[in-house]
Amino acid sequence: MTTPMVSLRDLRKEYRTGSDLVTALDRVTVDLPAGTFTAVMGPSGSGKSTLLHCAAGLDRPTSGEVVLDGVALTRLDETGLTVLRRERVGFVFQAYNLISSLTAGQNIALPARLAGRRVDPAELDAALAQVGLADRARHRPVQLSGGQQQRVAIARALVTTPAVLFADEPTGALDGQTSRQVLALLRGLVDERGQTIVMVTHDPVAAAVADQVLLLADGRLIDRLDSASAESIATRMAAVEATC
Amino acid sequence: MLTRDRLGAFVAVLFGTAVVALTLTLLASAKPRVPDRYAATVVAVRNPGVTTPADPFPESRPWPSTEAAALAARLAAIPGVTAAVPDRRFYAQPVIDGRPVVTVEEAHGWASATLASDRLVAGRPARSDHEAVLSRRWGVPVGATVTILTATGPARWSVAGLIDAQRLYVSDSTAARLAPGVRMIGLTGHPDLAGVRAAAAGATVLHGASLGGLEPRADARTRWVGLQVLSAMAALSAFACVFVIASTAALTVHQRRREIGLLRATGATPRQVRRTVTRQAAIIGAVAGLAGTVLGLLVAPLIGRVLVDAGFEPASFAVGVHLWPVLAGLLAGPLVAVAGSLAAARRAAKVGPLEALRQAELETRPMSRSRWAVGLFFTAAGVVAGLATTMTEDLSDLGTFALVGAMALVVGATALAPAAVPLLVRALLRPARGPIGMVMRESALAGARRTASTAAPVLLTVAFAVFIAGNVQTSTEAYAGRRAEAARAGSVLVPDGTPGLGDAAAPTAPLQTVLYLNDTAVDAVGVDPAATSGPGPTRALTAPQTVVVSESWAARLQIGLDDTMTVTFADGLPTTLRVVGVAPQAVLPADLVVGRSTVREHDASALASALPLPRGTTAVHPLGARVVDVQAYARQADAEDDRLVWIFTMLLIGVSVGYGALAVANTLFMATARRAPDYRLLRLAGATPRQVLLAVAGESAVVVAVGATLGGVAAILALWGSAEGLRAQTGNAVALTVPWPTAAIAVSTCLLLALAASVLPARARLTRFEPAQDLS
Repeated sequence: MTTPMVSLRDLRKEYRTGSDLVTALDRVTVDLPAGTFTAVMGPSGSGKSTLLHCAAGLDRPTSGEVVLDGVALTRLDETGLTVLRRERVGFVFQAYNLISSLTAGQNIALPARLAGRRVDPAELDAALAQVGLADRARHRPVQLSGGQQQRVAIARALVTTPAVLFADEPTGALDGQTSRQVLALLRGLVDERGQTIVMVTHDPVAAAVADQVLLLADGRLIDRLDSASAESIATRMAAVEATC
Repeated sequence: MLTRDRLGAFVAVLFGTAVVALTLTLLASAKPRVPDRYAATVVAVRNPGVTTPADPFPESRPWPSTEAAALAARLAAIPGVTAAVPDRRFYAQPVIDGRPVVTVEEAHGWASATLASDRLVAGRPARSDHEAVLSRRWGVPVGATVTILTATGPARWSVAGLIDAQRLYVSDSTAARLAPGVRMIGLTGHPDLAGVRAAAAGATVLHGASLGGLEPRADARTRWVGLQVLSAMAALSAFACVFVIASTAALTVHQRRREIGLLRATGATPRQVRRTVTRQAAIIGAVAGLAGTVLGLLVAPLIGRVLVDAGFEPASFAVGVHLWPVLAGLLAGPLVAVAGSLAAARRAAKVGPLEALRQAELETRPMSRSRWAVGLFFTAAGVVAGLATTMTEDLSDLGTFALVGAMALVVGATALAPAAVPLLVRALLRPARGPIGMVMRESALAGARRTASTAAPVLLTVAFAVFIAGNVQTSTEAYAGRRAEAARAGSVLVPDGTPGLGDAAAPTAPLQTVLYLNDTAVDAVGVDPAATSGPGPTRALTAPQTVVVSESWAARLQIGLDDTMTVTFADGLPTTLRVVGVAPQAVLPADLVVGRSTVREHDASALASALPLPRGTTAVHPLGARVVDVQAYARQADAEDDRLVWIFTMLLIGVSVGYGALAVANTLFMATARRAPDYRLLRLAGATPRQVLLAVAGESAVVVAVGATLGGVAAILALWGSAEGLRAQTGNAVALTVPWPTAAIAVSTCLLLALAASVLPARARLTRFEPAQDLS
């Protein structure tokens, strides 16, 4: 049994709003093997985004352990987490989160430059070509469509050849056709390059592209579906939502 | 490159470095000038300086006659010395056309003519008593007689010779009789300095640039006042600059949280974020510092002229370009900008990557632990500085402590502001019941930190306007208290064209003199024990060589009734005095009171400042004096002081309030621009444009109210400390005066600026956008 790429042990995340204590994650334990495509689903408020943030080192759990590519995240300080993220994690948000004053090329090169490395133009062109935007290097986000912006964000996440690519609802703001393009791109990365991808989604069709689906409800991991079809996923989700 | 956010900081640094460069240039130019009458003096020797708390420029202790002669003989023997002249001077004024010549207030022995290289143009030097050498410009020929006014009164002298310069000389024997004490020995020629120092045996040797120490004490005092004014301006400017940059940077970081979070999510470490903020600040500081230094140098001559006109610098003041103020200005720019942005840079570094995702602007904890610590520390420091003013006797220290205390309180109030915002907002907006009021209240409460940052410049402006005006008012009244007590009679005899009243004009008036006690010079007064209007303890001064001491000095010297003390008078001779009375300082005219005859015996230049006349005295005008009504006298003295004080106040308030106003406008402009999404949401929720503008105006008013309240509290605390200090120093009952007119003007100015900076742009933006557009 190979060591998993991402390992979550007894993960808890609580936070206070005023006088209430909200439990976003309640003792989640799961291993994600390398080279797989995992989808995380659940009703709103189930903690799926929080799980992603903790696994990627963007947020700190209240208790529990996260091991990513052999590194225990909980032992790192802010600077250590940032450096780790720069080198081994790619993150794609729902709202593309590109810096509007920079071109697509500059946005993609930014993480590497923040790490102190110069990105040579050939690398940039290759990254853009990978997502099918080879001729858009000099365009600013405002000149790109939603799908194109999302693809630039994916290219940025990939330029550092991360160990894991995390995506939080990457197709949430895209229309059907563009969604399919983006999902095909992600699937291709797993199949051809062995990229490990963890994706949060509420869309069963998107989840069906994944190798396994994790179902969360009320911060707890309640089910796991392997290579399921979109219909069976949708049925299972409906059942979960009905009982919530 | 210069976005709206950075413009405010740029302008702040620009004006800050301009003021710093300007004040430092003026300070560097304010060098003491050797008076003309010592033009030929190469080296001057005098006793080491004495100190006195309330007057930073006392005269040095005089040598007695014999000691001075011996020292002069020793100095004359040093190789290279052409002449070693003990300089003797005493009060004397020639009377030309019935009026004393105002430009001449002292006569010197003829030997001192060498020190000025004054040569006779007619006649011969003065040799015997009542012979004098005059200036030929006064139109009195050789051989004629002239009236000369001395401390004992007018007398006829004969003119033995004439010189070109406007100076008065008498014979050396007359000078030795009237001014036995020698304060300075001047050397001409090319004296060997090492030899001089050896021969002087501990006395101060002035040479070259340090000969400026010979300038008249009055000029030195004026320059000192100018120094205080300029340093206060520089300090206030630097403080206001750092403060404005800090609050602007804090607001900028707060408003760009999402962008910073995005940078963090993309891979910027906290350190990189912090360095970006400080690097930007340093660049702005460098550019603005350069521009500001140039501006300051250009404006320096203008301000210099204002200072001379106002009497804050002597007439000999001339502005020149010096290197170190320029360097200081260039350095100050980036330094001030980086210093101001440090706290904001730290906050920016703490922004987490998930901030990029947050939509709502909800602050979880407006007051962090470190902010509480900073706020309480600075407030405590401000109070301590206020208390420290009561313990210092030095006048300039008092001013420094008061100003530093005010600054500390302003910082403390700003740090603690977010904690005070909920209380103040609830209190202020309690009567506002409608929907707009609710929106205003809730948004101010939810954004306590933002409200505090926006209110910070108002806090600064109101605090300093109130503090400066109140301080000036309080200290004016504290020092006026003494004068008001002194002039109780219906009319007063005051000097007219003379520095004081002599024996002929006012034979019973108290004489002012200086006594030297070890290393301290103490102002003393010689009173006529027979005068019934004097305080009780002074009746005992009929016996010779007696003194009445104030309680504080008696405690300091550890002496009591019937003890003896040794003092030196102006003639340089140590004299033993017996204490015949100890009284509280409020009752006595000075800390040491001796008999009038004792003073006259030892000091031929002692004069009286004024003599209150009993009611019903006919108006007789002796030479050099006139009778005025008490009111007129007080007004005359006050008018001059008031003018000085007014200019001083205006300069300081101008600097601090100017900054504050600038910052208020900039901050409100920035803050309102960033709240545009909230206001659009209001429109979408159904508010009319007018209601939105009302909300904008209301929020600005709330911000000004919060800032004004906190600033007022800080200022009043600082004023209390300053009043206590003045009370301890002057011994008068000093009340804390709050300058309500100034406060009202400061608050109204801030309110007008805030409303203009927020409502006008909001109005422009509202008329451009329609709600439906924002939905896309």
